[in-house]
Amino acid sequence: MSDPTVAEAWVAAPLRRLMEDARLISGVLLYPTGRAVGQFGFSNAADVMSICALTSAINASARELGRQLDGKPFYEMHHAGAERQVFMARASATSQEFLFVGVFDRESSLGVVEIYFAEFQKALEKLRPDKQPTVPGPSGDFEGELNRSLDALFGPIGKR
Amino acid sequence: MKAVTQVVAALSHVPGVVAAMVVGAADGLIVETSPMMGSSAAAEDPRKHTAALAAYLYSKVTRASEAARLGNPLFMRLEAEHGQICVVGARDVVLVTIVTPNANLGRVRIDMMTAAKGES
Repeated sequence: MSDPTVAEAWVAAPLRRLMEDARLISGVLLYPTGRAVGQFGFSNAADVMSICALTSAINASARELGRQLDGKPFYEMHHAGAERQVFMARASATSQEFLFVGVFDRESSLGVVEIYFAEFQKALEKLRPDKQPTVPGPSGDFEGELNRSLDALFGPIGKR
Repeated sequence: MKAVTQVVAALSHVPGVVAAMVVGAADGLIVETSPMMGSSAAAEDPRKHTAALAAYLYSKVTRASEAARLGNPLFMRLEAEHGQICVVGARDVVLVTIVTPNANLGRVRIDMMTAAKGES
């Protein structure tokens, strides 16, 4: 299992702990805008780029769906496939919001992932540097933000 | 197995049982639970954590038991400093109890195994 690669150093330790404790195969922490903050289990920047874009879109859709069906946004999603399962949830640290998506198999369970994700969220709240949100909101340059975060995780294109 | 509500209610009345739960074997999520006996409202509720980790541990114990060619585990007991956790598998769910150190374990064991088999 490889160590997480991160764009912001303070998330490395909580991500590693979540990966190990919850026995996740892979995972990505990102801003709701789609900008990646950290990842583990991926060696290809294109995969992370796709996951960030899809997670960001799924999160936006799920929130709106929740609002329409239940009057409040859905913040957590789980999909159980035949072999692998996907867990997606919101995490917040002070005023900053993050999304996390993780993949696990029979070596873990949804219950185990949920309890360690709750601990991960507490760690984010505790460790987040005291500063204004890094990404106040969508800048409109979705592709640019995504590429900059991937450069931070995997190195600039051409050196990956 | 009897209705999960009945199982949980019956197990929670066994002397020494602090909490009884029916937990999904695959996902570790609580299906039905009794209240925590003697727990203050301010204290952090340990049931969700216990349920998820006990189900996970039971799945690993099952693999160990199978690897040793012993078949499925019938009863799992984890003895800790301040009490015990007992787990019995029942097809798609596991029964989990948190019990005091001085509980009548024989009674707890029989009642859990009986409940898992669906006998009254």
